[in-house]
Amino acid sequence: MFDRHYRRRLDADLVGWQANGTISAEAGDAIRRALGPMPGGIGVATVVGIAGGLLIAAAFLAFVAANWSAIPRVARLGMLLAAIAGAHALGAWFAREKRDHLADTAVAVGAIAFGASIALVGQMYHLAGDFAAAMLLWGLGALAAAALTGSRGALAVALVAACMWSGTRAIQFEDTPHLPFVAFWLVAAALALLWNSAPARHLVSIAALVWWGVNGGDVPNPAFVWAAGTALLLGGGLLVQARGPEAVRMLGEVGAAYAAFATIPVLAFAVFDVSGTPAISAWLIVCGVLGVVFATGASALMGRPSLVLASAAIALMLVAVGLSHAGFAGSEWLTKAAALAAALCLIVSGMLDDTRARVIAGWVALAVVIAAITWTVQGSLLKRSFFLAIAGAAAILLALALGRLRPREAER
Amino acid sequence: MNRLRRALARVPRPALFAAAGLIQVALIAAMVIDRASILRQGTEITLDTRPVDPRDFLRGDYVQLRYQISTVRLDALAGTPSAGKDAPLYVKLTPNPDGFYAAVSVHLEPVPVVGREVLIKGRIAYGYNCGGDVRIYCHSADVTYGLERYFVPEGEGRVIESARNQGKVSVVAAVTSDGRAAIKRLLIDGKPVYDEPMF
Repeated sequence: MFDRHYRRRLDADLVGWQANGTISAEAGDAIRRALGPMPGGIGVATVVGIAGGLLIAAAFLAFVAANWSAIPRVARLGMLLAAIAGAHALGAWFAREKRDHLADTAVAVGAIAFGASIALVGQMYHLAGDFAAAMLLWGLGALAAAALTGSRGALAVALVAACMWSGTRAIQFEDTPHLPFVAFWLVAAALALLWNSAPARHLVSIAALVWWGVNGGDVPNPAFVWAAGTALLLGGGLLVQARGPEAVRMLGEVGAAYAAFATIPVLAFAVFDVSGTPAISAWLIVCGVLGVVFATGASALMGRPSLVLASAAIALMLVAVGLSHAGFAGSEWLTKAAALAAALCLIVSGMLDDTRARVIAGWVALAVVIAAITWTVQGSLLKRSFFLAIAGAAAILLALALGRLRPREAER
Repeated sequence: MNRLRRALARVPRPALFAAAGLIQVALIAAMVIDRASILRQGTEITLDTRPVDPRDFLRGDYVQLRYQISTVRLDALAGTPSAGKDAPLYVKLTPNPDGFYAAVSVHLEPVPVVGREVLIKGRIAYGYNCGGDVRIYCHSADVTYGLERYFVPEGEGRVIESARNQGKVSVVAAVTSDGRAAIKRLLIDGKPVYDEPMF
């Protein structure tokens, strides 16, 4: 989809550049030939076809549901198995007809039917097994379908099921960190790399964050659990995007972008008055430190000083969360200062790297932290005003320093 | 990575879609066949049900069942470190003079049984987390065996609920030698009201 937008814009630019003499007509034609034909998108007929198929499927489901208990059990089982087989057969037919989007959708529908079948077979045969095990079974079946057919939709279903499996283990069974999920996630990430697919990259990045989110679900204040996960994903993403094949670098870029946005709730948790001391353990500290080390390593590998600021943002975020509820005099102001500095480092590193995700995430985080300082009732209003004035002065000094550094870099 | 991509590209696409569908169909079939094998091979035991909080009894169209063996004493295990909520427990059952099976001992690993004794595998719902910072087993535990739900046609749950409140409901379960169990029959006043077919 983004390729088509880019091509339209490039085609328009080429016409303009040829008209004003920036490039010759031959050069423009050569660029067009090098790019090849416009990549195919989802046509209107396909979209309407998908909508029609979904409506018929919904009508059929409602009809079956209305008569479900009147249908003999073996017939019900046969219908469920036929739904799964039919969806995949339809997918195979669409694939043979080179209708890849429809084939992908059919396999995703098959994966959803598989999940529904697990629930309904459990009901029909009185299987009172645990919910998490059913989710794992669903996730594995959908992941196998995704791996075999290349369906991004089935991968999405698989990751949703896996997150529900892991979340249940983490919260209901207090099994944190739920490491078996990592093995599942690595397979999904390998598929994203194998396919070099943008939707798959987004899906595995979101799944990584959701997993970290639910792993903090059984503690009163999960800020440090989230901070460590965000640090690891941000640092790891930056390191991965430093070297290696394009698919790996792209995955690192998307992972780092999502992690940048994850700093917003983490910093909010650090500065807002949340009950309970953040749960901090050795493995979390190791994850956080690894995030800082990875980001610093990325800076060295890519020769970009801007990534040192990203590394600093990670370290400051960890310090902010670590100091919140530390209890010694002034710790709350140090927390806020570290949180402000983290947000500022994120913005500046994003601007220097021309990375929009880090810039936007940094600005939102900065707004959240300033809002927290202004509205929370820690310290007198005069003290808060004094603190914000110092923070503002520090930011202006940083701006002056950057203003002096940037032209020199540009000259180089 | 590229080699794998090339290897997959050589396989006809319809075959890959068929394999994906077959895997999912096979997993569903395995669930049903596994239960049928429990019903076919398992030793029949009769379990007496216990009252359940009425607010929690009927959720949707399934009946929540609780048994005499749902709460067990952990005598030998009490005070020892527990492996958590998901760790399996093996409960040795023996029939009472009234024919209902009751728990006699609880074990972390399968143990031999003699005569009419049966070993059933369960998971601990409560009783694994006594103690302060470290999880240890309590003196008693709530255990689930995968027999706690019985789905009934819409509207029929209230009848069973009423019978259960009067202590008239019992369940015949099949238990395999490795401890897996499935509901085989539901009885009210000792008479079968629901008899589970294999498929």
